[in-house]
Amino acid sequence: MSVADTRNGAASRNAGLVIGAAITAAFVGVAVIAQIWTPYDPAALSIVHKLQSPNLHHWFGTDQLGRDVLSMLMAGAKNTVGVALLSVIIGVFIGVPLGLLAACPPRGAVDELIMRGNDLVFGFPSLLLAILISAVFGPGAVNAIIAIGIFNIPVFARVTRGGALQLWTRDYCLAAQVAGKGPIRISFEHILPNLVSLLAVQGTIQFSLGVIAEAGLSYVGLGAQPPTPSWGRMLNEAQTLAALAPSLALFPGSAMLLFVLGLNLLGEGLRHRREPPE
Amino acid sequence: MKRESLSCLAPSATRLLRTLLLTALVLTACGAQAAERVTIGMQLEPPILDPTANPAAAISEILYGNVFEGLVQFAADGSVIPKLASSWDLAADGLSYVFHLVHGVRFHDGSAFDAGSAKFSLDRALQPGSVNPQKSRLAKIRAVDVVDRFTLRIRLGQRSGGLLQSLAWGAFVMVSPQSAATNAVQPSGTGPFRFFGWRRGDSVTLVRNADYWGKPAVLSEATFKFIADPTAAYAALMAGDVDAFSNYPAPESFPQFAADPRFAVLAGTTEMETVLALNERVPPLGNLLVRRAISYALDRRAIIDGAMFGYGTPIGSHFPPRNPAYVDLTGVYPHDVAKAKALLAAAGYSLGFAVTLKLPPPSYARRGGEIVAAELAQVGIRASIENLEWAQWIDQVFTRHDFDMSIVGHAEPMDYDIYARDDYYFGYSSPEFKALIAALDDTIDATRRRDLLQRIQRKLASDAVNGFLFQYPRLAIWNAHWIGLGFDNVLGVVDLSRVHDDRVALRGAYIGRAAAARPQAFRFAGGVLAALALGLCALVTRRFGAAYLFGRLAVLIATLLVATAIVFVVVQIVPGDPVRYMMGLQADPDVIAATRHQLGLDIAPLQRYLHWIGGLSRGDFGSSFTYRIPVGELIAERLQVSLPLAVFALLLSTMIAFPVGLIAAAGRGRAVDRVLTSVTQLGLAIPNFWLGMLLVMLFAVGFHWVSAGGFPGWESGFAPGLKALTLPAIALAMPQAAILARVLRGALIDTLHEDYIRTARAKGAGEWQVLWRHALPNALIPLLTILGMQFSFLLAGGVIIENVFFLPGLGRLVLQAIVQRDLIVVQSVVVMLVLAVVMVTFLVDLAYVLVNPRLRVPGGA
Repeated sequence: MSVADTRNGAASRNAGLVIGAAITAAFVGVAVIAQIWTPYDPAALSIVHKLQSPNLHHWFGTDQLGRDVLSMLMAGAKNTVGVALLSVIIGVFIGVPLGLLAACPPRGAVDELIMRGNDLVFGFPSLLLAILISAVFGPGAVNAIIAIGIFNIPVFARVTRGGALQLWTRDYCLAAQVAGKGPIRISFEHILPNLVSLLAVQGTIQFSLGVIAEAGLSYVGLGAQPPTPSWGRMLNEAQTLAALAPSLALFPGSAMLLFVLGLNLLGEGLRHRREPPE
Repeated sequence: MKRESLSCLAPSATRLLRTLLLTALVLTACGAQAAERVTIGMQLEPPILDPTANPAAAISEILYGNVFEGLVQFAADGSVIPKLASSWDLAADGLSYVFHLVHGVRFHDGSAFDAGSAKFSLDRALQPGSVNPQKSRLAKIRAVDVVDRFTLRIRLGQRSGGLLQSLAWGAFVMVSPQSAATNAVQPSGTGPFRFFGWRRGDSVTLVRNADYWGKPAVLSEATFKFIADPTAAYAALMAGDVDAFSNYPAPESFPQFAADPRFAVLAGTTEMETVLALNERVPPLGNLLVRRAISYALDRRAIIDGAMFGYGTPIGSHFPPRNPAYVDLTGVYPHDVAKAKALLAAAGYSLGFAVTLKLPPPSYARRGGEIVAAELAQVGIRASIENLEWAQWIDQVFTRHDFDMSIVGHAEPMDYDIYARDDYYFGYSSPEFKALIAALDDTIDATRRRDLLQRIQRKLASDAVNGFLFQYPRLAIWNAHWIGLGFDNVLGVVDLSRVHDDRVALRGAYIGRAAAARPQAFRFAGGVLAALALGLCALVTRRFGAAYLFGRLAVLIATLLVATAIVFVVVQIVPGDPVRYMMGLQADPDVIAATRHQLGLDIAPLQRYLHWIGGLSRGDFGSSFTYRIPVGELIAERLQVSLPLAVFALLLSTMIAFPVGLIAAAGRGRAVDRVLTSVTQLGLAIPNFWLGMLLVMLFAVGFHWVSAGGFPGWESGFAPGLKALTLPAIALAMPQAAILARVLRGALIDTLHEDYIRTARAKGAGEWQVLWRHALPNALIPLLTILGMQFSFLLAGGVIIENVFFLPGLGRLVLQAIVQRDLIVVQSVVVMLVLAVVMVTFLVDLAYVLVNPRLRVPGGA
């Protein structure tokens, strides 16, 4: 009974991993393709062709300015992937070294300082600070990346520190210490490689949060600015046209839902693979 | 039944019958006043309520003609007709006007209107320290004299043909010497309505002035509700939250309302000329040939179709088409790409050139900008679009002239004189044009004025000063049963004097409303929280000693101090001058300096920070720049929405998450678990604002079950308030519930592996008993942390949801404050939320320490 249970669960988790990876790959693929090709220029206006429902020429229809919705979705994916990915990279490149540093023995003032700093950033209502940053430096994709990226720093710092603390008790770390390697060198040579899978899991989760955050920011007009298409702004613009062309609100929302779902499934699948339950 | 039988009759008979019914009703009500209340949607909220101290158009839109009246007013065609002055005489030399004032007029503050108060009003506007935004229009006045109680004389230094027009402006309404100083928050005029209340960020309410000197209004109450978001405006009308919208911000959905029999619409016009402003100081644009080429490159019809969905009148100069002196000059530069290219080549730019196109926020500019850029590209001009906030636009384009092109609407009536100003933002300078304006101001004869006005229009067109695009439309929408809403006028004001409801008196008698009744529940909740905090502290002190508690408190205070410093520093870097933004485009420099001093912005930042911190520690957040009331009051007002919303959402998410988590854990690995886990996966992935949109589309617009948004205020009762928060709470709660359910399931399954569970099982406890009695209490520990985090997230994270549902909460307050550069409000709200988050985390940590059996020994963590 319990064996069958586990196998069943493992199979479904594996399925989740595969589905999640497939969805993620599809969206990232679309984003990459959009870099070089979209069916139409996503910014090209054609007032005569406005508000068409899905048809052979425009598979997802056109918006109120006659732009091709499919092309905008593709270009929006490019923008979303870019913002979310870069904000994760900011988090990794600053947060991981901080976490490693905090975990270095002997722990003391440095650890305390880094962790209190972490608490401070955590203490800020994230969306509010993102809005504040966008307001200070002006709205736009770059500032959205910074605003979202700042919140990834403490997350990665905390996860890295937690993982590193465990690894420091391992024999090979002790052996390296005995061999005379300094704590920084051990952190990078022995600890970091063992944290990669843990960071991959966290990275996937932060990526999916980044997708939602970017959409939220661009929905209130603080994300990517026109003519750069973004899913959040497409949703905002579609809201007034709800009765006229509901598909304009459904497509970007569904794309977002599907992408985040794929990322979550991928993250969860990766986590289970790393630490199989029982 | 009754309704059906009524509708069977011929319409006229129905009307007669209804009139009879009404009469009967009114008679039986023994003189009780019938309720006629209208709610009107507005795009922009006025910063203050004194039209003589601030140029914001929203002030006049609400108050002019309703609360405040001038000596004269504009008729529908732009001519000047009597108001508080019943007639006037002009001296033969054109240097003095004598006004005969209406008798028996009283201000709302009780004082009488006479030549003395009229002189006071004008002197107040003209005195050196005056902050009147239009003061320069009356610069030719030398003196204002009281001839007798109801006769006023204005003496001029020079002849001024535009004097009467200027006096009709909202900036020169009559105010009472007794109450003029408080008009910013408590306006008192002579109009048919008196000011009743202002819920900041939400609405302004006016009530009928029973002692009005003219024909009293029918309407008993009017509320102006502020909804800037096109989508929210759409939803508010559809859901019936507002009866009318005076300047509807979403032309794309206007035809839907036009086709809907429930609504009446007006596609009128305004005094706002929308232009492609060209900076004549930069090289290619200073060239007349280039400017003409640009005018040929513009396809006005395509711009109006694309940006305004066909609403708007093409213009060929800077002049409104409804004015009798208008000449149609749209034919001077028809859309002609070949001609444009030829002109560019003749100017030496056959390869085109690159420019920046800086756009302010309104959709006419943003959408129009995209189309204009595409049209310019066809003739070889490469325009790169830069989108600016209003404050940035005023700073970069208007003040520093750091731009090539921009699209903006000029809303003031008769504002062609801006082209004669030295160093105005588009940098046009023409002695001939200045001579025309001077001649016009010196001319009183109507025919000659008209001739001059036409020459002014032709001159602007021939110099192709700007790309003249279209006259902005006035798109008004109202529920068809409201009769007499006056939307079509020169100043763009909402005239309420003749409004009445076709369905009146069938709705019952007017019920007086208690103004600003502070809900007791709010204070009660605060008390409970404080008691809880004190209790926790006491428990912790008993178990771990006072030193432990003080240590934690010290860290808490240090965290708060660092947080305030960070917020203060970040906010200081915000680009854009708050005073410039508040006072608008036409404010005089000395007025700006005065306001800056008044707001304390002229002292050093460090001093300002210490002052602010000192205030914070006493619970004093400072005063809002824009609203000029204590920030603490603003926040308390908004918390009445945000706090219950957060609590409501938290309760909802807990109520959903518990059963889901328990059932999934009980059936772990089985189908029920997999189904529930998949559902929570979906819940995690759905962005809450999209969920909110879908809920509005379904339940408010589709089924009309609930209103699409807005908040009636707790004073209107608990049930309506709760109803208004239901959809937003659901939208906020769903993703949180998904997280909570998953954490609960995980924690439950984790505890199931513990020894004591095995013991319980061995003793014969059933599955549910094990879960409920043994696993759940222990799983609650990680859940507590998540709940604490979620509460603070919900309190602050409602920003977007509050905008989808236009709730006057903290999130909307902050977004508005950022746009208005109201720094004190921004930093106070952020600090207060950080404070809330840190405090909640602190309390949760304490509770965690107390609850977790493994942490009972100090240092055991």
